[in-house]
Amino acid sequence: MPPEPPRDPSRHGDHPNPWGKTEDESIEAVITGATTTRTVLPSESDSAPAAEQFNCPNCGGSIEIKAAGYSVSIACQYCGSTLDVSNPDVSIIQRYEGEVRKLELPLGSRGELRGIEWEVIGYQRRSENGQYPWDEYLLFNPYEGYRFLDTDGRGWSMGRQLTAAPEKKSLVGFEVDGEFYEPFYAQTRAQVDYVLGEFYWRVHVGEEALTADFVRPGKMLSWERSAKETVWTLSELLEPHEITEAFGIEPPRGGGLPLPHQPSPYRKKAGQFMKLAAAVGVALLIITSLFGGTSDPQTTRINLATNGVEQSAKVGPIVLERPRQAVTVSAQAPGIENSWIDLTYTLTNRDTGEEFAANSVVERYSGRDSEGNWSEGSSYSTSKFSMIPAGTYELNVFAAGSRWTEGQFGSSSNAQVEVTIEKGATFYSNLFLALLIVFAPALWQWWKHLSFESRRKSDSDFAGDDDD
Amino acid sequence: MQSENCPNCGAEVIFRSPALPARICDYCHSTVKRIADGVELAGEVAVLPFDVSPIQIGTRGEYGGKPFDVIGRIRLAYDQGAWNDWLCLFSDMTHGWLSESDGQFQMVVERPLTEIRSKLVRRLMKGETVQIGDRTQIDGAEFVVADARKATCVAAEGELPFAPETGWEVFNVDLRDADGFSANFEHEEDEEPAFYMGRYVTLAELNPKNLRAIHGWKMPDYAA
Repeated sequence: MPPEPPRDPSRHGDHPNPWGKTEDESIEAVITGATTTRTVLPSESDSAPAAEQFNCPNCGGSIEIKAAGYSVSIACQYCGSTLDVSNPDVSIIQRYEGEVRKLELPLGSRGELRGIEWEVIGYQRRSENGQYPWDEYLLFNPYEGYRFLDTDGRGWSMGRQLTAAPEKKSLVGFEVDGEFYEPFYAQTRAQVDYVLGEFYWRVHVGEEALTADFVRPGKMLSWERSAKETVWTLSELLEPHEITEAFGIEPPRGGGLPLPHQPSPYRKKAGQFMKLAAAVGVALLIITSLFGGTSDPQTTRINLATNGVEQSAKVGPIVLERPRQAVTVSAQAPGIENSWIDLTYTLTNRDTGEEFAANSVVERYSGRDSEGNWSEGSSYSTSKFSMIPAGTYELNVFAAGSRWTEGQFGSSSNAQVEVTIEKGATFYSNLFLALLIVFAPALWQWWKHLSFESRRKSDSDFAGDDDD
Repeated sequence: MQSENCPNCGAEVIFRSPALPARICDYCHSTVKRIADGVELAGEVAVLPFDVSPIQIGTRGEYGGKPFDVIGRIRLAYDQGAWNDWLCLFSDMTHGWLSESDGQFQMVVERPLTEIRSKLVRRLMKGETVQIGDRTQIDGAEFVVADARKATCVAAEGELPFAPETGWEVFNVDLRDADGFSANFEHEEDEEPAFYMGRYVTLAELNPKNLRAIHGWKMPDYAA
């Protein structure tokens, strides 16, 4: 500790006094006296006094102990010196030579947070070895005890010290009140860089503690271990307007990474959109199955040789009553092997002669190569005509079979193809497109949620590989 | 209720409990001890330092379905701070301690040490030390040592189950579990150790009445 500077009593008379009693002679009296006197304030009241007043033994400034009986040490708000107030005689623990900082929440400020009035009585600037600094305010209400108000500039959290030790769940997480907290910051060393105001423990600059943090959306569970004790604190993230309404300060500026315990703003939306999409999707499936589907099948069989010669057949008549409707033509040739059948369909209106044409193929190949047996193609195919006007139609089928002779397995020389015409159709591709459109906003929100979560977790010591 | 006169100053000294042996005189801070035929003087305690505790002698509340009255208090200090142990007289004339430390409360009642089957407690009874973080099973729950320190009685008031002396020292170990239950081991020199169990409580859940009114602070709704 540096040698004590010579005291200049004349300085103290000019010292700012927050209670506006600069003319108060008692200050001078105390300074000229050797020891500090402690008096209670207010001295005349129907209720118990709220504070204890004394003059800083270093600078003479008038200090009020707001949490009298609990406070152990005080960093003087005028000169920054740390004082021991646990005994009737106030003693200096550590003198402070620097300039006293102006706090965003001045000591003595009061504000109501979540229905309870709190007074700011202490402030600590903390960091991890000078990195990632944060502000920690100590709040007090004699009927409610203490709370911590933390910020690193991105948002404010209010924490309370837990009385129950959290329960370890799984290898790395903890549970409090049935809620799981996943690990976020691994064990690291935090230090106190600056203090002001009163505390129920012995504060001093340079004090170190081991800390680790666990999170769930909106909440953070912090573990802190010092030489003396292990403390668990549960913090809740405050909405920006809450801190503004309580203390009249600017809401935190956004930007940067999300806070470790910041809830994803997209999660709820993604869930809602997903529910809506699922409901619409189910409705679409029901509509499709009610109004889709086919009826009145008529079938013809064509026997043909796989020599390229075209055979033809007629199916029908088929009567279409609705002004516009779909018609499905399906073909199957179950027996074919290493051959294919080209199919041409012509749907002709008997009365008007209007024609609708479509092509299809059924085919089947198989063989063996270095990787073993293989087969491909399908002996079944469907063709769909949509928006066919009402009328009486007949279907002309032209089928030509061919055989593939390069394979080492035999190919069919004859084939039978069965062609069926039905009214109606189920357009699965349309359904698929509709579902895609319906689910797109939900998937978009979900993607935004995942990318938010990935940014949030990117600062975590436990971030998985999938986050990068 | 028993009314006596302080053997030191003559002021009226009222014992509300039927069995508690001592009371601090409100006026002269003498310790007044009950004896077979009246009271006798048993020393003097220091004046309580000012604090902003919301509890006071006469505060009423409920715990475990039983109403209680706060009738006494001892204040203990150690190198890291101080706390209040408020003596609560329950309606069935049993008593418990509402311990107030750093703005947190726990209500504990004494349990005979013979009932406590715990290796750690047995070690403490033998005068051995324990470390913060040590674990032990008590009544099927896992307790962890939260604090262990030697404290000094700095002041007292009201009725008490012993005649306190200022400067009297006690070794105190705080244990807690994951569900908010707490336990306390206390050992004074030349005395049998004692064990207390209970749980952490909020003031609100005690449904308190006649809390101390503190200037500039609104009486909470739960106590109105």
